[in-house]
Amino acid sequence: MKYSTTVGDRTFVIEVNREDEVTVEGEVVPLNMISIDQATAYSLLLNNDSHEILVDEEGGDYQVLLSGHLFNVHVEDERTRRLAQAARGFTPASGDIHIKAPMPGLIVAIPATEGQLVKKGDVLVVLESMKMENELKAPRDGSVSAVRVISRQIVEQNQTLVVLS
Amino acid sequence: MFTKVLIANRGEIAVRVIRACHELGIKTVAVYSDVDRSALHVRYADEAYHIGPAPARESYLRIDRIVDAAKRSGADAIHPGYGFLAERPEFAMVCAEMGLVFIGPPASAIGAMGDKAVARMTVQKAGIPVVPGTEGEGGLRDEEIMAVAPTVGFPLLVKATAGGGGKGMRLVERFEDLPRALTSARREAEAAFGDGAVYLEQVVEGARHVEIQLLADQHGNCIHLGERECSIQRRHQKLIEESPSPIVDEDMRRRMGEVAVRAAQAINYVNAGTIEFLVDKNKHFYFLEMNTRLQVEHPVTEAVTGIDIVKEQIRVARGRKLRYTQEDIRLNGWAIECRINAEDPFNNFLPSTGRINTLSRPAGPGVRVDSGVDEGSEITPYYDSLLGKIIVWGESRPEAIVRMRQALREYRVIGIKTNIPFHQAILESHRFHGGQFDTTFVEQRFSMDENIPEELPRVAAIAATLVAHQRGQQAAQMVRGPSRDMSNWKLAGRSEQTRK
Repeated sequence: MKYSTTVGDRTFVIEVNREDEVTVEGEVVPLNMISIDQATAYSLLLNNDSHEILVDEEGGDYQVLLSGHLFNVHVEDERTRRLAQAARGFTPASGDIHIKAPMPGLIVAIPATEGQLVKKGDVLVVLESMKMENELKAPRDGSVSAVRVISRQIVEQNQTLVVLS
Repeated sequence: MFTKVLIANRGEIAVRVIRACHELGIKTVAVYSDVDRSALHVRYADEAYHIGPAPARESYLRIDRIVDAAKRSGADAIHPGYGFLAERPEFAMVCAEMGLVFIGPPASAIGAMGDKAVARMTVQKAGIPVVPGTEGEGGLRDEEIMAVAPTVGFPLLVKATAGGGGKGMRLVERFEDLPRALTSARREAEAAFGDGAVYLEQVVEGARHVEIQLLADQHGNCIHLGERECSIQRRHQKLIEESPSPIVDEDMRRRMGEVAVRAAQAINYVNAGTIEFLVDKNKHFYFLEMNTRLQVEHPVTEAVTGIDIVKEQIRVARGRKLRYTQEDIRLNGWAIECRINAEDPFNNFLPSTGRINTLSRPAGPGVRVDSGVDEGSEITPYYDSLLGKIIVWGESRPEAIVRMRQALREYRVIGIKTNIPFHQAILESHRFHGGQFDTTFVEQRFSMDENIPEELPRVAAIAATLVAHQRGQQAAQMVRGPSRDMSNWKLAGRSEQTRK
């Protein structure tokens, strides 16, 4: 099975030949990968180089923690790639982003107001949790289409606080 | 002489104190909230009492419930740990009233240093230089602060008078930002300490945070145990500490030590305490504040002096004279501590909650791990995010650094995010190696994204591809339907039977 895998601005063509061998950019690489915890931890022997890796799936992409560095990896197999290329003719909608509470806490401030235009990095909500104030920032430019909480409200993990369009 | 100590705390420090007590043959009593029933400190103690729901205000900060647990267990002494009630003079007073020995300084000393504005005034009178800022006692209203701010000069720091641990502090660059900073600082201080009073301090450019560990007995003896360098901080929270400090030589140590001892004696201090100094680019040091309790980073001092500070705290509380004179104190080798927090360094250090599914601690010569959590522990949002500390000792600073790097590699925590990658990145940085950093280093001169080894992206790509491939195969199998509709054990049993 052939894959097109992107890390940052680099794309690798990786072919999984067998359980113990892949071909990366034309080069055959013997390997052995085992799961350590049957969940996210793996031990990978790549050409006998030993790596301990944590792989988390997050929204279709993979977050790979390796030697203290975090990589966002997008893996596409051949079929998906062809489909995606065909779809690229359409303009993809930006989509609303729901800013959710990363953990339970208390809303202490809401600098964002409905209708406000914000830039990437602007503070939208301040959530007090674990004895510290945590600023939740806009992940990209946009406009605040909805503010779903009020000050002094206690919120649960993953509760939507602000919707960014 | 007390024989049973109640530890009014939780997490790694409670475990630490329990350890010291047991070594001295003292029985221990733990207290726990709803979410701490399976915590390590509860399991290690000789007795454990439930004291309330998860929020600290309803459990670990409830003086009445803690004293009640002491009475019921027959504890005759209390160790407050750090944070929570450790620096509340009323707690020390209640203990005294109830005939419980408080393992720490007298309430008067806690009070004298607890209000940071009063503390500055007190040591100034003793001829000790302080970081320039607002004069006089605290309790200034916003209007008064706005009026005096220009004299202090910008940039300045708004700090909580009841503060500590870096909470309730805001850096203000311009006058226009001051009102918002005041509101924010007051709010955080109110939540953390129950007191929103603030004072102002000048920002000392290129300052390093160097503190001196003190030990004083009830007989008037007071010594210092050398310094700790604590400039690797983020949002005023210490992350990496070391002893000795790369910028302190014998002479400076002696001078800082003398000043620290003088400050402690000015308030008749007893037991363990720490004087924090800011050191400017010219190696002038200024009193910042005094912490009248055991500190998180005490292990680095223990590593280089060979002294068990918690056991000494207990001995002092039992009325013993200090076993050491200043001449006995020698710093040997180098120690570094990394605070492991449940925070995601790749996402603005947002706290992480959840269950620790896997935990592997580092080990080896010169490696110490003080942990409050275990495999299966639930990390909740009710308390701070400290999971534990790695402390390494080496014969030299370079050896300590490589030892810590190896320890960080071995420390595996799965189930929640930790700041281990952050520590790994700092330990790789040239500036850290050279000992050239001040308190602005982490926030201004350091980035997580630097120095990514060339071959890693390819390895990451291969790993993710293999995982995706594996998951794709499993999904395909499930869609196709199992080739057998019975378990392997059943199959094997059947074939055994048919063979007979």
